[in-house]
Amino acid sequence: MGVVEIDPSVTPARERNRQARTAWGLTAPALALMFLILLVPVVIAALLSFTNYSLGNSGFEWVGTKNYDRLFTRSTYEKMFIATFTYVVTVVPISVALGLGAALLVNALGRIGDIYKTIYFLPVMATLLAMAIVWEFMLHPTIGMVNQTFELACGTVLERIPFFANGCAEGFPLWLGDRDYAIWVICFIGIWQGFGFNMVLYLAGLTSVHRELYHAAEMDGAKSAWERFRLVTWPALGPTTVFVVTISCIRAFQVFDTVEAFWPQGGGPNKSTYVMMFAIFEKGVQQNLIGIGSAITMLFLIFVMFLTLIQRWLVERKVHY
Amino acid sequence: MARDLWKHLVLIIGAIIVLAPFYMMVSYSFKSPGEIDRGEGGFFGRQELMVDERCVKLRDPNRDEIAAVAAQYPGKTDRQIREEIMAVAETECSMRPVVFNYSKAFVEAPLLRYLLNGIIVTVSIFAIQVLVALPAAYALAKLKFWGRDAVFGLVLFCLLIPVHAIALPLYIMLAKLGLTNTYAALVVPWTISVFGIFLMRQFFMTVPDDLIDAARMDGMSEFAIVWRVMLPTAVPALLAFAIFSIVAHWNDYFWPRIVVTGSRDLFTPPLGLREFKGDADGSFFGPMMATATIIVTPLIVAFLIAQRRFIEGITLSGMK
Amino acid sequence: MAGLSITSVTKRFGDTEVLKGVTLDVGDAEFVSLVGPSGCGKSTLLRIIAGLEDVTSGDVSIGGRSVTGTRAADRDLSMVFQSYALYPHLTVGENIAVPLRMRSLSPLQRLPLLGGFMPGSREKRIEINSAVREAADMLEIGALLDRKPGQLSGGQRQRVALGRALVRDPAAFLLDEPLSNLDAKLRVQTRAEIAQLHRRLNTTFIYVTHDQVEAMTMSDRIAVMMDGEILQCAAPDIIYEDPNDIRVAEFIGSPKINILPSEIQAGTLSLFGKPIAKPSLQTQPGLFQLGLRPEALRLTAKDPILSGRVAHVENLGSELFAQIALEGEPIRVTLRASPSDRHHLKLQAQVGLTFTLEDALIFDANGKRHRRAEVFAPRSVEVA
Repeated sequence: MGVVEIDPSVTPARERNRQARTAWGLTAPALALMFLILLVPVVIAALLSFTNYSLGNSGFEWVGTKNYDRLFTRSTYEKMFIATFTYVVTVVPISVALGLGAALLVNALGRIGDIYKTIYFLPVMATLLAMAIVWEFMLHPTIGMVNQTFELACGTVLERIPFFANGCAEGFPLWLGDRDYAIWVICFIGIWQGFGFNMVLYLAGLTSVHRELYHAAEMDGAKSAWERFRLVTWPALGPTTVFVVTISCIRAFQVFDTVEAFWPQGGGPNKSTYVMMFAIFEKGVQQNLIGIGSAITMLFLIFVMFLTLIQRWLVERKVHY
Repeated sequence: MARDLWKHLVLIIGAIIVLAPFYMMVSYSFKSPGEIDRGEGGFFGRQELMVDERCVKLRDPNRDEIAAVAAQYPGKTDRQIREEIMAVAETECSMRPVVFNYSKAFVEAPLLRYLLNGIIVTVSIFAIQVLVALPAAYALAKLKFWGRDAVFGLVLFCLLIPVHAIALPLYIMLAKLGLTNTYAALVVPWTISVFGIFLMRQFFMTVPDDLIDAARMDGMSEFAIVWRVMLPTAVPALLAFAIFSIVAHWNDYFWPRIVVTGSRDLFTPPLGLREFKGDADGSFFGPMMATATIIVTPLIVAFLIAQRRFIEGITLSGMK
Repeated sequence: MAGLSITSVTKRFGDTEVLKGVTLDVGDAEFVSLVGPSGCGKSTLLRIIAGLEDVTSGDVSIGGRSVTGTRAADRDLSMVFQSYALYPHLTVGENIAVPLRMRSLSPLQRLPLLGGFMPGSREKRIEINSAVREAADMLEIGALLDRKPGQLSGGQRQRVALGRALVRDPAAFLLDEPLSNLDAKLRVQTRAEIAQLHRRLNTTFIYVTHDQVEAMTMSDRIAVMMDGEILQCAAPDIIYEDPNDIRVAEFIGSPKINILPSEIQAGTLSLFGKPIAKPSLQTQPGLFQLGLRPEALRLTAKDPILSGRVAHVENLGSELFAQIALEGEPIRVTLRASPSDRHHLKLQAQVGLTFTLEDALIFDANGKRHRRAEVFAPRSVEVA
């Protein structure tokens, strides 16, 4: 009796061809768009970074590495790197730490904590540009709420603190107009806007920590909150932390809204807030210097790719249990 | 209990700092220019009648206009007539600050148009993202074809490229095609969401093959399977992705700033607000805050209503 | 190394009373099992002893000292959790070392890099390492010290959990269903090992399980718990042969004890209307329950007390268990028979059963053991 055994894991050739054709049809739009919108621009940016092209010109010249040379020698670009890295190195650790701290506190409070969760997440949802404008007004040297609140401290015990002493005597800082403070204000707003997002990610991570581990830690003699954190919580949050830090870094590199809203021209007092995205915008779009704009774009891409690859590598290797 | 107290204290201080700008924004949107300058009036402002200076100035009659209505004011000098007209104008141009702010928000700039643009852009982007991503995700998850690993590798590679990073070359490409200052420019670069493909693929991989085989035996084409069989299973993920996408693109300032330089008609809400700021003199801070409040409110309200979904969405987008 | 006392412990969660005035005294180096069905409160009791839960009222003492208000970390106890609760990011050796590091190293000495340079820390670390080695060797996991829990099998992880518990030499060990996640064969093997461990360490063990076989085979005493109360706490043989309560009799023993409704009227004990004995001590008349273990029943051709048809037979090789559907009653009894009786116990075969009165356990209508009714006059009544 010829009984044909059908092995379900082996697809007959005709079916395979049919699936293949359909698959290509289904992925075609995505492939085309990936190619056109993601890959081609990278190549174009790479090529143009070696030219002195401007939009509207009919042709361009190859200038070799002149654009890159400029980037690494001119002081303007030095300020760009300083501003960008200051921002990233300030905003990322602080917003990650605040996110973690808020998550731990909110988690410990149970249902009441949900109110704080909502509140802290609002800045993430709100249009940054709108909130930036509000902050700008609040930071107005004279009629802004911040300095006015600080003024309230004059004549009280707080005046002992040097900051208040100077402020009460000579006037509180100009904030956005002050080249020493401008970048820190931008950092502050960046942290204000971003830490709620990190908090939510950490809260999700905390739910996956096994509760019994805390009991085991108690039995093993871990008595303080710090010891429980070190023994159980922090290690369990390893993957989450890697992710949060990476995402925060990439978002930090992309800072633009606040800088352009506050200083539409120039990149802040003494270019102290001349971050990379703004430089790309100013050079490439406003000043139509596509060559150098592309060069900055390439550098930016390299930083971001590098960060993401490190994250992937870490997740694969170190944080894997 | 006592240990909880200090936790609350710390969190409350944080909440105050977090909420401060929201408070100020809404409060300023209620206040008159004078109150804003002097920082007084509590949260709602005293809502005393204020005079809209521009309205008054617009009604300031010149010589010819006075002459034209002279008949209605017998026995009065030009100056007196003007004073009377202005007095009437002042009364008629008086209104409560909140009315002034919010009406100016819609009048001085086409705010409704901006909001409409926001909706058009975000909905279009999301719709096209789904149209592009879902079939691709299905193919990668469930269909066998020789290039599958290569395509997925490509997806993983493209995850390394944030669209904002390649804004400049995209802008050049669009400029060359003459497509700047169009809806297409606002929408097209975002239509490919590699993250969406990745996310949906994860979900689709968990759908049992039997379900798909049954659909095939019922005669469904693969294309129909994507929409009739796979889509319903992934609704939670899709919802989360929708929230993530809409929020991101409603609030996006960078890309619209680059591609929309000409007509206001295409302004998205953040651009509209920015333009308002650009023109504004001091007395227009109230309306500007009213605009900001109007732009920010829809997402906040939606968030408060659907909190859990929102946070789920962000978390999902996070924990790849 | 100490005895433990639990005095009138009550625990309420909201409106539900999970433990109802439980009292138990555990002697030094004794192995006591807390057995009972799910939800009887045994795990809660264990966690109260550990200090992971507070009592609503009552007292817990260790070595004569009350620890009711003391936190778990200060009670000098070790616990093995049902899920093992191993720290996933630490190696086996580091896991086992945690209790020692927490207790004998100061916080400064425990710092990741600098701790090693603190005065006195080197000697302590050497001590700790040798204690860890010793514990690991005792449990035969010495070769696994550098692996992480994620790389181990269930049985190996369980040993690591045991190692972590015993490395410190505490006053008592608390084990919460440690074998329930293992497969049957491993369970039998580990049972014996834990019993050996107990003998070797000579420390108090309190062992929670829902498996009465584990309790019977490992314990010095068994505390049978139901609905938040300890019904009886005694040695395994007493629990088996002399239960206080019908629930204890039904819970312990596999297959389950046979319970037959009986009656005492006018000084005669009858079963299904048939008089079978005369209790010699005065007993109130009324309805009673007669308990007979499967091994107490015997096949008989002549003068059977019970008769019925064979409904189901389980042949375990070394013995047979047959379910007999009694004539005229909707009751089945389980009989233990030897393999040689196989041919009598074909399905639907008619059989007669008898038993010795002394093997009978009599419980009153409420389930309480009624030992008075079990004393019979030397001359038993003729069985009809």
